Amino acid sequence: MNSGIFHSTYKADMGLRHTFHEKLRWVIFGILMLVFPFFADRYYLTLANQIGIATIGAIGLNILVGYTGQISLGQGGFMAVGAYAAAILTINMGMPWWASTIIACLVTAIVGALFGIPSLRLKGLYLAIATLASQEIILWVVTHWDAVTGGVDALVVPAPMLFGINMSTDFNFYWLVWALAGVTALLTANLFRTHFGRAFIAIRDQDIAAEVMGINLFKYKLLSFATSSFFVGMAGALTAHYRSIVTWERFTIDVSVLYLAMIIIGGLGSVRGSFYGAAFMTLLPAILSNVGRALKSSLPIVDSILPFIQQAAFGLVIILFLVFEPEGLNKMWKNIKDYFRLWPFSY
Amino acid sequence: MSRKTMYALFAALVVAAMVLTACGGGGGDADTSIKVGAIHDLTGPTSDVGTPYAEGIKGYVAWRNANGGIEGRQVELISADYAYKVDQAELLYTQYVQEGVVVFQGWGTGDTEALRGKIAADKIPFMSASYSAGLLDMEAAPYNFLVGTSYSDQAIIAIRWAMDDWAAAGNEGMPSVVLTHHDSPFGQSPVEDAAAFAEANGVAFISLPMPGGVTDYVAELAQMQQFGANYVIVHTVSSPAAVMVKDAASQGMTDSVAFVCMNWCADEGFIELAGDAAEGVIGTIPFAPPSVPVDGHADADAWLKEQGSSLSEASLHYTQGWWTMALMAEGIEIVLKNGDELTGENIKAALETVQNFDTGGVTSPLSFSATSHRGNTSLRLYEVQGGSWAAISDYISAE
Repeated sequence: MNSGIFHSTYKADMGLRHTFHEKLRWVIFGILMLVFPFFADRYYLTLANQIGIATIGAIGLNILVGYTGQISLGQGGFMAVGAYAAAILTINMGMPWWASTIIACLVTAIVGALFGIPSLRLKGLYLAIATLASQEIILWVVTHWDAVTGGVDALVVPAPMLFGINMSTDFNFYWLVWALAGVTALLTANLFRTHFGRAFIAIRDQDIAAEVMGINLFKYKLLSFATSSFFVGMAGALTAHYRSIVTWERFTIDVSVLYLAMIIIGGLGSVRGSFYGAAFMTLLPAILSNVGRALKSSLPIVDSILPFIQQAAFGLVIILFLVFEPEGLNKMWKNIKDYFRLWPFSY
Repeated sequence: MSRKTMYALFAALVVAAMVLTACGGGGGDADTSIKVGAIHDLTGPTSDVGTPYAEGIKGYVAWRNANGGIEGRQVELISADYAYKVDQAELLYTQYVQEGVVVFQGWGTGDTEALRGKIAADKIPFMSASYSAGLLDMEAAPYNFLVGTSYSDQAIIAIRWAMDDWAAAGNEGMPSVVLTHHDSPFGQSPVEDAAAFAEANGVAFISLPMPGGVTDYVAELAQMQQFGANYVIVHTVSSPAAVMVKDAASQGMTDSVAFVCMNWCADEGFIELAGDAAEGVIGTIPFAPPSVPVDGHADADAWLKEQGSSLSEASLHYTQGWWTMALMAEGIEIVLKNGDELTGENIKAALETVQNFDTGGVTSPLSFSATSHRGNTSLRLYEVQGGSWAAISDYISAE
């Protein structure tokens, strides 16, 4: 029986996955992900793709909120920047979708860094309000800058083609979004093994101490905003290419709150937690509505109260997590693993 | 509750959800029932008007099924609340299409815009309560049908009425008209067409967005007075419209300036909120309100009375949902009568043959063709008299 994980080489110590079981789980997970689209129907593929996009967005937000400790309510706005940048570049400049996606990520990173400037002076609640302003400003610009964003009308993005294959069908997009989600996860996990990532964490834990240790707060806070926004922009750009229509109503304040809920429920400061949170918050309404439909025939009253249950469940879940497991699904998963690993002699 | 119980509870919930999801769906006669998909806003920002609209759709389906269905086949309405969330709308749409719905009832501008590409690709005829003229573009939105008079046409009708009213009162020249609107794509939608119409007729015209989240519109009203407005067209939902009209009344502005509400603010909710200030406000309402009884109200009213309610309790948005669903049913019926296969493509073709569809006076007759999905271009004007909407004109056309 293991009493802990002990490394005897630096290489093992630096590994992303330590134990045989961890590696085995990843292989199983990988195989499941590869096989899934061949068995899933369109509904499940749409769900999977939504989770994929949400995972990328949640990882992005987690870099800023979970790892660097800078609260942001501007997620919806930054996703809008990514989506509109990708759409405009593709429509007006005839750029291929992959080029417009990359540029959209960079544009969002710049915009994110710009709106991150107040973070030098503002912390906590004050920063939350400042980023809330960025959300409102971005949406106002999007809906009023007619010449560029089309203002009133939704933008129709041509189908993303790759070697003559339409990538926006549910099946094809699955591969694209999950490949990118995988790359995002890997990059982010590795980011926090570099001095940049460690600087972010130091700022989160104690910003004054971090500054004393020689971390340039302004530089690293802006870097954190930029890195975070880069991935958030990617989520926005992918939404634009997947849905082929960009409207501002997809990027309202609701989205900002939803993503914050994702990373809180999934686990702040954790890449895996971002994935768990994204999956959970996407599946929760779907499961509730299907459960409601299943119960409808036997309990007619469910039909009329279901919408309210769905709304209440959303709030209830967040409260329960904050009370019982503030570290989120990621910690729950760890606890479950520990329980079985140490069974029957848990302490 | 200990942490352990919490975990056990969580695990139990997950298992229960999975089991229930696995046996979810189904229901209805797979062979003969006609599947209609719908999304409603019952809990979101537009739930005040979305709920009666949804009830209207559900009511029509229940009534039709109780009366033998369409050509002897029952209609199975598959619907859910999406709380005006675009992602939810897409997910529900995909799920319902997967389950074989042949037509779809949407709701707001957000979902209608977001889905129009998908519905064209899936060939699913789509109706919603968004009457944006942008949806009339047959290239961009070939499967969208507009049942209500478009916002642009409503604004033009309002200006046309203002010109007549101005002349009838013995005034010289042309009136000055302000179009004040919700600051969103929904609100901006009629501005361009209205401005063009006003300019062509020599009417002085400005448009003024109504900022959201404010408690009064005194500043906007001052701007209108500075412009010398004689008529103010209000294109927003009922609560901000009520605030504006109340402010105008308290300033004595309503004595010299006439307010015209477009369809999303001209409803029962507006009268309730604005109280006395609502008196004399004009409304461009594509679907006749219950306070002006017409033949087309009879079935819905009788059906609601059977359920212990009545149409006047249910509001004009009920009628709106009812007749939108009725038109969809008409398309389905034509396909079945012709003995064709019930597909979205055939239903679209059938709807395009509908000429002068009679809604019993609820709307002006609806006609569609392969080149136009604009149901009608005319409506009647109503005025708030003694706390309810009363008809004051015959059908006025935008053309």
